[in-house]
Amino acid sequence: MLSIKNLNVGIAEKQILKDFNLEIKPGEIHAIMGPNGTGKSTLASTLAGKEDYEVLTGEVSFNGKNLLEMSADERAREGVFLAFQYPVEIPGVSTTNFMKAAVNAKRKHQGLEPMDAKDFLKLMKEKLALVEMNKEFTSRSINEGFSGGEKKRNEIFQMAMLEPTLCLLDETDSGLDIDALRIVANGVNQLKNKDRSFLIITHYQRLLNYIVPDYVHVMYGGKIVKSGGKELALKLEEQGYDWIKEENSELV
Amino acid sequence: MSFAENISKQFAEVSNTNVVELRKNAFTAFEKLGIPSSRHEEWKYTNIKTKLNEQLSLTPADSQVNTTVKNYIASLPPYAFRIIFLNGIFHPELSIVPDTKGLTICSLKEAFSSHTSLVERYFGKLINYNEEHFAALNTAFVNDGAFIHVQKNVAINEPIYIQYFFTASDVNAFTQTRSLAIVEEGASIQIAEDFRNASNINVQYNHVSEVFVGKNASIDIVKLQLEVSNSIGIHTLESQVERDGKFSASTITFSSPNTGTGNALIRNNATARLIGENAHADLNGLYFGKENAHIDNHILVDHVAPNCTSNQLYKGVLNDESTGVFNGKIFVRQDAQKTNAFQSSKALLLSNDASINSKPQLEIFADDVKCSHGAAVGQLDENALFYQRARGITKEEATQILTYAFAHEVIDHVHSKPIRQFLCDKLKDELKVNF
Repeated sequence: MLSIKNLNVGIAEKQILKDFNLEIKPGEIHAIMGPNGTGKSTLASTLAGKEDYEVLTGEVSFNGKNLLEMSADERAREGVFLAFQYPVEIPGVSTTNFMKAAVNAKRKHQGLEPMDAKDFLKLMKEKLALVEMNKEFTSRSINEGFSGGEKKRNEIFQMAMLEPTLCLLDETDSGLDIDALRIVANGVNQLKNKDRSFLIITHYQRLLNYIVPDYVHVMYGGKIVKSGGKELALKLEEQGYDWIKEENSELV
Repeated sequence: MSFAENISKQFAEVSNTNVVELRKNAFTAFEKLGIPSSRHEEWKYTNIKTKLNEQLSLTPADSQVNTTVKNYIASLPPYAFRIIFLNGIFHPELSIVPDTKGLTICSLKEAFSSHTSLVERYFGKLINYNEEHFAALNTAFVNDGAFIHVQKNVAINEPIYIQYFFTASDVNAFTQTRSLAIVEEGASIQIAEDFRNASNINVQYNHVSEVFVGKNASIDIVKLQLEVSNSIGIHTLESQVERDGKFSASTITFSSPNTGTGNALIRNNATARLIGENAHADLNGLYFGKENAHIDNHILVDHVAPNCTSNQLYKGVLNDESTGVFNGKIFVRQDAQKTNAFQSSKALLLSNDASINSKPQLEIFADDVKCSHGAAVGQLDENALFYQRARGITKEEATQILTYAFAHEVIDHVHSKPIRQFLCDKLKDELKVNF
């Protein structure tokens, strides 16, 4: 479903991703770990289509289509979802109205009529339950005055609403207390299915206690330097990243 | 005929027998002032002199009801009170004024003869005609207008909708329109004034609203300048607020594309004078500029008495080559201790050719006051745009949604629910936001 080949990406004249390669098949959960500044968030932003990031060379195909040729909104309508590390506050726009616009944008893309109000409310209610949020959240301005945990739950709620096929979670676990972490992880686990793939970016192994990955990759110096199963995450938790840095000192 | 000769000839022809002394004084003052040029500090960014036609015709033009007028009236929500003017002339057959205890609504012409003592006490009393060019001209020449009086402790909960249509067929017509609202102690009303070009030519008009807010009384006034195109409109809103009184004014301007070589030029002068303790004024505005539209808001809040509060919130969205002017002044007199006065002006420039001149002014002569002002000019937040696009919303729609959110704050302050709803729908329509 997602195939990244020799991807080189820079921002403001500085190259961040260097010959990055990754294959994700339908239904797989991949975790990407690694120390700060190795390009994890750059990868997520690039895949989501943030224009500040310049793709120098390389290919990304998503369900057989050239992802890099699509605008950010087209990618989302095609089924890519980025759960933001820092969800943006938008005063004056309620989450309900935002989701209505987003759901209907996707439906239009699929050649469907806008969802009727009753069905939309029913869908919202069902998806809110996944992340243990109450209806009152959705009438408030997007993320405005939300706690860190509420913002991240709102991301997973939106993900559930839009039913993407590729979910990019950019440090969704950072700043979460243990209860919020459990809720977010539960939400993700309920969204898992054979067609939906996840790319989970995290610093810590703790989220992976709840969401069990099929593959764990370690990023360093703008590329994946080690891949393994979930046991790799445990090793990193125990030993830190120093051994990775030593093995790959030539990359920096 | 020179400008001065033309004006003075026309004044000699004005056959009003009412408030003659005041009109004469106003006329003499206008003769001295003339039409301001851009050398005048208050008209620096709005070169009105070059925009108005040379040979102004100040006598009321014919006022035939055309289909534009009919269709617009038919499209209005069913307001309980509706007063309709064409070229400044009252049309009772189009108006709806149900008898209501404690409320008088009539034409200014009728008030001149049947409410003489109120007219003498209030008409023109807030106009500084030695300095205000257009208010002086209006006071001298105005022929008719809306008169509203609310008796002590009477609360009118339905909005009073005043519609000023301009249908003149003479391009030189400079139509003078006017509203006078007097709300006695403890009474309250909501007023909407709607201005609309219903002709197929360029129109010019000069409107004055005088508003008296009694002790513990309240007035919420909304000025609607919607679909402004092929128009030059000059508006003066003068208000005076007594002890514990509340005044709120929202001026909403949407420009529309012009046909041919038209101008869309709007100048709003809005003044609130707080003359009794604990009085409060809100002066808010929202403006959308398109093409070559020019929208100028000049605001003055005059804190005369102590312990008063005021807020100014102005927001603008400028597209194409449109220009905006914001000039907001807070004046705190020596006796006005414990004043709380705030001002905020924000403008979004959505095109490289749009511009705004923003000038906040504070003049404070008391020592125990809280005043603040902020003026911001900018573009939409890129992060907020990307966040929406990452959810599948197109860049265009995301821009509209953010602009809607930006503008909606001003409409939120409109007290009257039906007017607020009307404006909310108008805003959604304008921005093609459909949620």
